[in-house]
Amino acid sequence: MQVKIALAVIFAASVALSSSVAYAVTIEVGYPYSSLFDVTIKDTIVPMFEKAHPGIKVKLRATYDNYEDAANTILRESVAGKLPDVTFQGLNRQSMFVEKGIAKSFEPFIAKEANFAKDGYHKAMLDLGTFNGQVYGLPFSVSLPVGNYNMDALNKAGIKDFPTTWDEVIVACDKLRAVGYDNPLFWGWNITGNWFFQALMWSQGEPILKNGKVNFDGPAGLNALKTMKKLFRGCRMQNLAAGDAGKPFNAAKVAMFFWSTSAVGAIERAKGDFVYKTSEFPGMGRPPMGLPAGGNSVMLVSTGSNAEIDAAWKFVKFCTSGEGAAVVARTTGYMPPNKAANEMLGDFYKDNPNKHTAVRQAGLLREWIAYPGDNSLAITQVIYDGLESIVTGDSDDMEALQQELSEEVASMLP
Amino acid sequence: MGHTRSHFWFVSPAVILMFVILILPIFVAATFSFTDYNLGSTDFKWIGWKNYESLGKFSSYSKMFTASLTYVVIVVPVSVLLGLGSAMLISSLRFGGELYKAIFFLPVMATLLAMAYAWEFALDPVMGVINKVLDDGCSVGWFYKFFTGSWLGFNPTESWYGGICSDRMPNWLGNKKYALGSISFIGIWQAFGFNMVLYLAGLTSIPRDLYAAAEIDGANSTWEKFKLVTWPMLGPTHVFVVTITSIRSFQVFDTVEALTRGGPSKSTYMMVYAMYEKGVKQNLIGMGSTLTIVFLGFVLVLTMTQVYFINRKVHYS
Repeated sequence: MQVKIALAVIFAASVALSSSVAYAVTIEVGYPYSSLFDVTIKDTIVPMFEKAHPGIKVKLRATYDNYEDAANTILRESVAGKLPDVTFQGLNRQSMFVEKGIAKSFEPFIAKEANFAKDGYHKAMLDLGTFNGQVYGLPFSVSLPVGNYNMDALNKAGIKDFPTTWDEVIVACDKLRAVGYDNPLFWGWNITGNWFFQALMWSQGEPILKNGKVNFDGPAGLNALKTMKKLFRGCRMQNLAAGDAGKPFNAAKVAMFFWSTSAVGAIERAKGDFVYKTSEFPGMGRPPMGLPAGGNSVMLVSTGSNAEIDAAWKFVKFCTSGEGAAVVARTTGYMPPNKAANEMLGDFYKDNPNKHTAVRQAGLLREWIAYPGDNSLAITQVIYDGLESIVTGDSDDMEALQQELSEEVASMLP
Repeated sequence: MGHTRSHFWFVSPAVILMFVILILPIFVAATFSFTDYNLGSTDFKWIGWKNYESLGKFSSYSKMFTASLTYVVIVVPVSVLLGLGSAMLISSLRFGGELYKAIFFLPVMATLLAMAYAWEFALDPVMGVINKVLDDGCSVGWFYKFFTGSWLGFNPTESWYGGICSDRMPNWLGNKKYALGSISFIGIWQAFGFNMVLYLAGLTSIPRDLYAAAEIDGANSTWEKFKLVTWPMLGPTHVFVVTITSIRSFQVFDTVEALTRGGPSKSTYMMVYAMYEKGVKQNLIGMGSTLTIVFLGFVLVLTMTQVYFINRKVHYS
């Protein structure tokens, strides 16, 4: 009997406690890469937002490991009927949620806003979230590939200027090896979504898919594969694991590190005692004609009440076009999604020249193309395996590799 | 006493639980393996044996079978023999045995996933402690002589160690030549302590007088005593240890996920990892289910043959 009373008291108390909090609405939000975005979203944007909108409480879900995990989590939650209200998704994974009818269009909300400027967004980024003429995803953070250099190593090897083509990178590798850098280079072939393969394709002005069909079966694709082979062999690049690639650079073991600008903030926090600079992504004989936009965007997947959906829209707006956007640039190496943020940033880029490299390249922004259909993630893996075989030395014949990859990917596309 | 139906009530919880949490999931997986179901899709198509056919069609699956079988063939015999050897050495000690038992059992108690990350640090090609030691050892005379085999008269520059000294330290997890070996090494390191404990238990159950009897019959050398008494008397233990180790080796997942993700070039693409990659990471529930069913079949066949072959030679006391 006493136990029952005790239980009843506990139950009543917990109900009273949970309902005594005076928030009108609670929205649930999920985002990826806690190491990059905890400081941005959890520690900065959410407190700022809750202060600006006292009636709304933001509840954060467990962070997603990466963009693939983010996509899978939403798919599972959709099957289980446990979707959050707002989710941050990799730019190249958005189409899946539109195809499956999980994401909500932003158009009705944008129409209601008096002065919501679509113009503030980078066009390539906005295009990525636009399907059938409707905006489903608003860009949150934009990244581009950049070159990270250990200036102490470059000086020691007598390299005066940053390389602007891959051939110059290979020459630099030889010089670096001559002064004792056994691992002069790491090049991010393994970045999610075949991002660097797309970077070499866009460098020549070609997308990886055209009208839903394989587009790397032509001379541009072959050229991209041959450039990778030349670079990996010429620099004797080792197959370092994906999560680790930054560590050897931070430890001054790798002198040139080609990666996403998103890592610039993390490198500056973790690097050893050397002078660190970034520079523009080299091109294939000439400056790149385009580069794939990386990063993520915010999508509305709420299945809740109208009040919740309205609150969720306010949060999306805050993150992508308000003060939230400037926080992205301050706390990460990403570019802010919206030009409006630049005014709030002031002298930020003058004080942080390493983060400015990507901004200088912003004119090159092109679409980070997703593979359509159910095999989307499996195709990413097929191309990943193909690129890996160049790194490990299993593939020597680039024509054969190109044919093999084109045929396999074509058979997996819808 | 009248005939009641109470026995049904007594067994029903066990039967229902077994059906719901063991049989039903297998049945569901078997059903899905004939579909192209994709997580998040609202419908699916029946595609017959197409998923099973793709196992033979794509090279990644043949690499999967090669990797899994190679891993089992390396890890099972080595960890079983190491377990037996260390158990016999420890049981022959007059004191200090408890300490060795504790040390060798440590890797079993530690979480394999956490240990995998520790190994990742140690095996890092550029910053890992293993390559640091090997690299520094190149300039230490006796170390260099010992590992290049030049003390045996070999040409030091032609040996493996001489080669990496004059070139670059090995990339243990990123190079196809070493990756499966490294993963297997961690598997052995983790498994043999468990086998040792099982063998220690087996050894204590061998009656002492059998050794005395063998001695009277003229088996004087340690080897003969081992061959005539210890080995056959451990029969039931062998069956258990080999079966358990094989199944556990087939199930290897933690180290692959943490260290290589199936690479490089699918050289460590184990079956359970493939299941996870297809079914969980890529949402291809149909293909993931197919791999699950094939995996279950493999383990079943392996266990049955093993039990059959070894059982025939086992002397149960």
